[in-house]
Amino acid sequence: MYRLIVSHETRLLARTGALWAILLLLVFAIGFAALAGGRSVTRQAKGAADAAAFEDGVRARMQADTEAYAARLAASGGTYEFATVDHVPGRGPPQGTNAGVVGAETAAYVVLPPTGLAALSIGQSDIQLRYLPASMGTTLDMVKNLEIENPVNLRTGPFDIAFVVIFLLPIFILALTYDLLSSEKERGTLAMILAHPVSLRELLASKIVARASVMLAVVMGLGLLALLGVGTQLDQVETWLRFGLWLLATLLYSLFWFLLAVLVNVHGRSSATNGIMLAGTWLILVVIVPTLVSLLATTLYPAPSRMDLIVAAREAQTAGEKGMGDALDRFYAEHLDQLPAGDQRAMDFLTLSQANAASIEKALLPLYQQFREQALHQEALVQRFQYLSPAIMMQLALNEASGTSTARYQDFLDQAYRFRGEWNDYFASRFLARSPLRPEDYDRFPRFEYVPEPAAAVMARLAGPLAGLLLLCIGMALLPLRQLRRYQVAAR
Amino acid sequence: MIITIARKEFSEIVRDGRFRWMAALMMLLLLTAMLSGWQRFSHYAAIQAAAQGSTNQQWLEQGDKNPHSAAHYGNYAFKPLRPLAFFDNGITSYAGTAVFMEAHKQNFAIARPASDSSAIARFGELNGAMILQLLLPLLIIFLGFTAFAGERESGTLRQLMSMGVSRGSLLWGKAAGIAAAVLVVVLPCLAVAAVALAATGLETAGGGIGTRIALVAAAYLAYAAAFLFLSLAVSAWAGSSRVALMVLVGFWAFTAFLMPKTAAEVSRLAVPSPAFGSFMADMKAHQQRGIDGVSPRVRLAEYRDELFRQYGVARIADLPVYWTAMSMQKLEELDHPVFEQHYNSVREQYAAQLRLQDRLGLLAPLLPLRSISMALSGTDLIEHNKFMADTEVFRRNMVVKMNSYLSKAAANLNAVNDATNYMIANEEVFAIVPPFRYEPPALGMVIASQAGNFARLAGWLVAAIVLALVAVRRMSLERN
Repeated sequence: MYRLIVSHETRLLARTGALWAILLLLVFAIGFAALAGGRSVTRQAKGAADAAAFEDGVRARMQADTEAYAARLAASGGTYEFATVDHVPGRGPPQGTNAGVVGAETAAYVVLPPTGLAALSIGQSDIQLRYLPASMGTTLDMVKNLEIENPVNLRTGPFDIAFVVIFLLPIFILALTYDLLSSEKERGTLAMILAHPVSLRELLASKIVARASVMLAVVMGLGLLALLGVGTQLDQVETWLRFGLWLLATLLYSLFWFLLAVLVNVHGRSSATNGIMLAGTWLILVVIVPTLVSLLATTLYPAPSRMDLIVAAREAQTAGEKGMGDALDRFYAEHLDQLPAGDQRAMDFLTLSQANAASIEKALLPLYQQFREQALHQEALVQRFQYLSPAIMMQLALNEASGTSTARYQDFLDQAYRFRGEWNDYFASRFLARSPLRPEDYDRFPRFEYVPEPAAAVMARLAGPLAGLLLLCIGMALLPLRQLRRYQVAAR
Repeated sequence: MIITIARKEFSEIVRDGRFRWMAALMMLLLLTAMLSGWQRFSHYAAIQAAAQGSTNQQWLEQGDKNPHSAAHYGNYAFKPLRPLAFFDNGITSYAGTAVFMEAHKQNFAIARPASDSSAIARFGELNGAMILQLLLPLLIIFLGFTAFAGERESGTLRQLMSMGVSRGSLLWGKAAGIAAAVLVVVLPCLAVAAVALAATGLETAGGGIGTRIALVAAAYLAYAAAFLFLSLAVSAWAGSSRVALMVLVGFWAFTAFLMPKTAAEVSRLAVPSPAFGSFMADMKAHQQRGIDGVSPRVRLAEYRDELFRQYGVARIADLPVYWTAMSMQKLEELDHPVFEQHYNSVREQYAAQLRLQDRLGLLAPLLPLRSISMALSGTDLIEHNKFMADTEVFRRNMVVKMNSYLSKAAANLNAVNDATNYMIANEEVFAIVPPFRYEPPALGMVIASQAGNFARLAGWLVAAIVLALVAVRRMSLERN
């Protein structure tokens, strides 16, 4: 019997223009979003590749210079020497022998690789630079640059599949379900149907099943097609795992909206009232609550101003420069191992800037700590308040599943800072010891290897939003049951 | 007659419990948005002024050093905001608030507040403009969709007509009644905002604040009126209020959520702009090979020979100007056209993207309104571009002042072949660079840039009124 009603509903649905119009819109939106997401990921990947290629090119030329120098010495005799900093070419050893020049004037790019699902949810990846130049100098130099993009478009936000799922899918679902019972009632057909051996609950369930199965089949199928469309390789377990979690979140989120429509319908109001209530709820849950939570987070835990950070950094720089002797003495006191033989503390530019960078870094550490702390507070607040709106839970879940979450970026930053330290130490120790770089050293420079987060960490961060969505759906499924018994079948 | 209808419509709306809920929510949100916007603006303005003062002082008190090193130390420009930014924050969180102005390099703006906030901020920022752009039309739709369809369903429309009411006056009366109800909600909040603005912001407003406010108000009024007449048109045309609501909410979602993102994405696909890494790699490579393919090193040698001829000498040691400073300034000037070409190209790409989006405003009235609102609040790309241009003027002036001072003051060093013996300057020398000053774009230019958007918005309003008139004229009086 039940199956009969479902198939009847499905056939009925297929006859209405509304379903086809909505499915067409959905297909179009997902296709366009896949195109846009793919464009964004490709653009970033090209940015990272171009930046790295440029720096590699500079170092390759330096290596070639040292090779030529070594060959010249091999022919003419003489010792392989360390060049002092000098930008006039053609005199003495090439600059490429100076570790300070190579380490400070070229950079190694540290890249956060996109996951297979990156194109589905852009998250903050259009603002944060996902390839950072590691070089001597300060951490501030590494993270000060930002991905460039038309700021008006950044403010508007990307048209990615996450947008389609979070914003548009509920509208489509509600458009199909807002008059689930009320339209039958208004047409007077409800009483007729219920005269057959079918309960109101069965009828309602079959109407939802018919609509949900069509919508979800389309969303999931298109999601997979979109993934293939943006060129994701499906040969990795991680990609399948992430896609599975992505689908699970989408399923729960869609279910929530279907159940919301049921909840509103069982109160027996007119279609127009149902429509207003559902549109209002959508607006509150998807637009108003998230902006209010965001306002709360930035008001309670405002990030320190970057302008203040800049002023403080310059304060530290000036103080360092003014006490050049001091900075240098302090530096060597902490790095006795790096004091050149015979204490020939050449006051040259790079030594000083190296010593200075260390003192700026120290002065800025508390400020960085403040940024980090406020960011963590904000994130914790969002985590707590996410349960106010399924849209917030969904955004957290989709960013997490797609690898564009704040937490993954923060983990990447930690890896990047560690690598910068490694790069700095490699070149600083050779520079301060005035030990010349040889051509073969170029192949032994530190290399950045991104270590992916363990799957357990990703799952742990996803647990909150997914559990929240699940509980919400269970609650929403139980709520209408009582009301359903009191439903007035015929208009009074 | 029109007044009677308006009064009836108004009191009917105001007595409705649903309206009271919506009005309370709307007022609460609008007030929160205005006040939090005001708080954010004042906080920003205080930090910006303090930071600019500090860096100007830091430039002077950077310690005695070589003038060219001073130019390397450089200065920062922090972007000031105009008071109307409290109402429409525009691109402030996304465009960068600080520019490092240093020797040899033109830089992008850094310090973007958006990158320090959680991803949830991407749902949108609560400010007055956002409420009026997104929620106000929905309120109008909720009040207006039953205007004719509801009367028809309850059978009162025929009665009304039998009393000899003309269809036109029915339309204008209903429009006036709904407008009055909407204004009752919105005006008190705007009054609070106006008081806050008058109390603290006017001294930083500069000229033309009155014109700006009047134009912004006109734009929002036209936008709201367009939605009002569209609601009435659809209500008259639709077979039932259910259908009217569905169509109107659909159109609202289309113009408020779907179109802005679609337009942005279409513009990005049509006019791609490079990522940071690609931009920098291209520009640096271009610098190395020279603007016209002649390497800067060759140009420098030519320049040296030119100076030799000019001063009638044969070697650097005899030059009456300090060659190191002259050559650094020459390198700087060789870079200028390269910077211009690359930065201008990105700016042109962004402008082309926005022009395309403006044209798509024919499909959604939010797009022209959004541009007008940002432009007149001084939080759009025009203002940002002017700020960036001013920083580049400052940078070039700072560098040329330092290099030319060095070139004259240190001519005696041409013969000294010792790197440690260099010229040291002090605060008095650094003071020849006047502090950074930002000159906002002329109001006339800002208004002119929005002429097309004003026309599109006016077009929407006229089209909505015509649609409403036609729909009311053809309206059937009974359910079919």
